[in-house]
Amino acid sequence: MATTTATITLSSTDLLSDELALTTTSTLTKTGTATGVEHTSGLASKTITSTAKGTASGQVTLYTADDFAAIPYLYVKNSATTAGHKIFIYDDSTSGDPLQFQLDAGDWGFIPMHGDKTYKAYATNNPTKMEFMVIGQDQ
Amino acid sequence: MATTTAAVTLTSDLLSDAMSVTASTTCMKAGTTADGLDQLEYAVVEIATGDEYDLICTTPTASKASKLYVKNHSIDETYYVAVTQNAQAIGRLYGGDWMFIPADFHDAAADIAMTSNGGTNKIEYALFHEGTVLTTT
Repeated sequence: MATTTATITLSSTDLLSDELALTTTSTLTKTGTATGVEHTSGLASKTITSTAKGTASGQVTLYTADDFAAIPYLYVKNSATTAGHKIFIYDDSTSGDPLQFQLDAGDWGFIPMHGDKTYKAYATNNPTKMEFMVIGQDQ
Repeated sequence: MATTTAAVTLTSDLLSDAMSVTASTTCMKAGTTADGLDQLEYAVVEIATGDEYDLICTTPTASKASKLYVKNHSIDETYYVAVTQNAQAIGRLYGGDWMFIPADFHDAAADIAMTSNGGTNKIEYALFHEGTVLTTT
């Protein structure tokens, strides 16, 4: 069985009067079990050239609905280095393409997805580089 | 300004070579690299089965940056909370899972809610932001 872990560390020495040092690790498992997930899309690096949702090209598809069994885990990072060069991730499966996540330059996100929605990304600037990976159970 | 760092490490033996992906970011106010997020809402709540909990009752000011961390402390891997934004499903946090979302939760329609399933889920969350306004009900 494969073992995949995700660790987050949130730290600050000056946000509170005492130091903030929060670290937690989770082992990624098949839904409702203690058995580790076995598949990944692999780490991808892509360039977004679209500055709007719903256009024909230039957006990046991070995940296609039902590609993995619930729950797939999405890691995504905005590789831009200039503040304000944002990436917008929206739900392409739902009417109106609702915006769900917004990453400024250097931001990253880790989301245990529902798995039944297609996620796409556009950016404020063309081009904007991003990297992402899905980990879960292929179906 | 406050300096808050969020770092992630993903490790796995899924592949023929060991995988280790790391990323780190300083949580900044919108559109700047010079001024860090300096406000925080940090709490632990227990949500009974079937109950919905509005994680963000006051929403960050429009066009401002915010980062949301949530962890499900349930030890039963069949327990989970369903996470929604504006009633649209984002995902599920099963026992032991966590999520970190950079987003623009800028109005009442973008609020985050969690519905508990399987049993009472103990949820820890931290919202780093740069100002809030009261939501309309």
